Amino acid sequence: MSARALAGPDLVVIGAGPAGMAAAAEAAARGLKVVVVDEQAEPGGQIYRAVERVARERADDLALLGEDYAHGAEVARAFRASAADYEAEATVWQVTAEGEVAFSARGRSRLLKAPSLVIATGAMERPVPIPGWTLPGVLTVGGAQVLLKAAGVVPEGPTVIAGSGPLLFLVAAQLVRAGAALAAVLETAPAANYARAALRLPRALLAPGTIAKGAGLMREVRRAGVRIVRFASNLGAVEGRNGAVEAVEYGPAGRRRRIACETLLLHEGVVPNVHLTRSMGLAHGWDPMQRCWRPALDPWGNTARDRVLVAGDGGGIVGAGAAEAMGRLAALEAARRLGRLSENERDAAAAGHRREFARHLRPRPFLDALYLPAETVRVPRDDATIVCRCEEVSAGEIRAMVAMGCLGPNQTKAFTRCGMGPCQGRLCALTVAEVIAAARGVPVPEVGVYRVRPPIKPLLLGELASLDEG
Amino acid sequence: MSFEAIVVGGGMMGAAIGFGLAREGLRTALLDEGDRAFRAARGNFGRIVVSGKGVGFPDYTRWSRLSTDAWPGLAAELRDLTGIDTGFRREGGIYLCFGEAELEERARTLALCREEAGDLGFDFEVLDHARLAALLPGIGPTMPGGTYCPQDGEVNPLLFLRALHAGLRALGGATLSGARASALRADGGGFALTAGGETVRADRVVVAAGHGTSALARQLGLDIPTRPERGQLLVTERTAPFLPLPTDRIRQTREGTVMIGRVAEDAGFDDGTTTARMAGLARDAVRAFPALARLRVVRAWGCLRVLTPDGLPVYTESARHPGAYAATCHSAVTLGAAHARLIARWIATGARPPAIARMHEGRFAPAKAA
Repeated sequence: MSARALAGPDLVVIGAGPAGMAAAAEAAARGLKVVVVDEQAEPGGQIYRAVERVARERADDLALLGEDYAHGAEVARAFRASAADYEAEATVWQVTAEGEVAFSARGRSRLLKAPSLVIATGAMERPVPIPGWTLPGVLTVGGAQVLLKAAGVVPEGPTVIAGSGPLLFLVAAQLVRAGAALAAVLETAPAANYARAALRLPRALLAPGTIAKGAGLMREVRRAGVRIVRFASNLGAVEGRNGAVEAVEYGPAGRRRRIACETLLLHEGVVPNVHLTRSMGLAHGWDPMQRCWRPALDPWGNTARDRVLVAGDGGGIVGAGAAEAMGRLAALEAARRLGRLSENERDAAAAGHRREFARHLRPRPFLDALYLPAETVRVPRDDATIVCRCEEVSAGEIRAMVAMGCLGPNQTKAFTRCGMGPCQGRLCALTVAEVIAAARGVPVPEVGVYRVRPPIKPLLLGELASLDEG
Repeated sequence: MSFEAIVVGGGMMGAAIGFGLAREGLRTALLDEGDRAFRAARGNFGRIVVSGKGVGFPDYTRWSRLSTDAWPGLAAELRDLTGIDTGFRREGGIYLCFGEAELEERARTLALCREEAGDLGFDFEVLDHARLAALLPGIGPTMPGGTYCPQDGEVNPLLFLRALHAGLRALGGATLSGARASALRADGGGFALTAGGETVRADRVVVAAGHGTSALARQLGLDIPTRPERGQLLVTERTAPFLPLPTDRIRQTREGTVMIGRVAEDAGFDDGTTTARMAGLARDAVRAFPALARLRVVRAWGCLRVLTPDGLPVYTESARHPGAYAATCHSAVTLGAAHARLIARWIATGARPPAIARMHEGRFAPAKAA
């Protein structure tokens, strides 16, 4: 097999977000031959999406997206200036047991083999399966932000943002600055979260930037005249005559409130994108604070598989700043494993990045406690609510399978096609597990997870067929 | 807990027999493993096949034919009982040949197989490229031909499995899921089965546990050698109907997805996939139907067939412990109707179908010294 693989690199980095860019630049600076493979046309990942173009051509947008986003341009510049090779618009669809990275670019598939691998596949938004979430006009907050970054586009008509998480008020402020008609922000974090978070506030205040920034964004949005509703529960998107969303409803039965909107943006935080690490059969652990799975890693990002490392949000949600530091740590460790650095050299080079990493993580327990999604958000109560968008399988159908004896997502999938569509469960996996766990009355880890198989992203049959032709 | 019959194995074979036993009026339990068992049923291609089955062993051809003839009744019964349409269709099937020599060999094999099977065989037609193109308009220009058999058909194997489970429950049967059977022994007039720390008793026990059959059957004095054979499959996104008949390696499901399969390899108990095999499947599929090149593959998977040394099924009752049965095969969709009807009746009433008279494990025993 290796005869067909491209010869040469010491390290393949999957993903060109903050962790991937930093890992590549650091490894290249240590003399490693690096190839970065990434899906997008430009480096940046989701958080710094299109940052080079925005910095070059759209000064107004750069200003309204804020300084944290603008920092991405520096990370990208360092990455571009490094000796790392960069395969853009290249979709990794498998990492084999032998460590070959199979990817498709420009209509063809290729194999890339290197002695070490850093996986930096980042985060994805947690699904928000409320009634009506699949209606036209309902998007995610992250999706709206991507449109703003990539094309300077804001949603048309009255817009409501609903959910929780640090991204909520950041995007609200960015949309306000960009001239969107933001009617309201509905915060779903339950009151109990505030009490839990308060205990963790002192530690968070040791890194005052995060908390102050968050408070500032909230003030900015309120001053712009946007209505802010706290403790909004039981969200539902209401279908209008044209089949698209016309309003959002919230509140307990009998006291439902309603806000008209043409666009509803949902968000309940982000979770690690573990599709690739899952497909490789690596061990994962359940993170009860973030209600998600994360690969088991040591402090350098090492997985149990030799010279396979994970950096950034794909290893557990840490945020862009910590991801960047983690990328550098993983690169140093990869260099040591390849014999390019001694243990002492690695440790000396790592010290500053470790401090940086720790500093960025200080507010995390506070944020995790405050933004833990409520059970009503994770487990749809209404049987008719869709869980699997690809195959249109509802929460009720999944519960019916549990009643028939299905214990986990794989049997449920075999019987209902839930998770069998183009996304292969990337989007519904957490919801399905939460629904089954709630129906069985057991913790989520006991329910298990989808068996993830290649390709981890769809590829054309013709591209797959091209693999052997050299 | 105590039952009249317990079936170990919730896959295609165990569920069919379990459903059949409940249908015969026995208080039946089906023991199923957890969420991540090997489950050969999930690798099934969904074809119902008589043509070319059992060359040199005509009983197998006849047995397959009996089952396919019983399929329409089973599909209708399951639909009435559970509301699940299994997607059963029997409008014929096609075997694709990729070379002239393969086509000639295939024609010879089918002729021999049909002759051996006599009145319970099958019909077939050898197709040249033009005739193949008339039946399958999307066929690629370099495909030399194939064979057509009107008795072949197809079903959605996952819906079939679900319907069997639902049907069993509708008839009052129980499913005990989440536990792997660890011990099985004769106990008084019946049998005691230990699974997940619990013991279940039954008058009759049927071991149909796929790769677990060998070890469990041994506890009843039955020696049934099996080995895993890996198949690899691809499935695409949905597309408009383009393939009016199932073929041996490419089948469009009713949902619109296209299944591509046909690998047979020894990989032990590794049910993974390999990029080389995936690419090979893709190349053959694109050669057979060039338009497939533009479809997206959403999943590849490996699955482990349960094979006996000669590839034929085993249906047997323990001589030492009457009432204990074991069964294994690798065509549990084709044979599903035979299992639900004829095998279940045999276990319930003792009326053994003549076609399976020689399908016991005794054929694998080393010849006894004189």
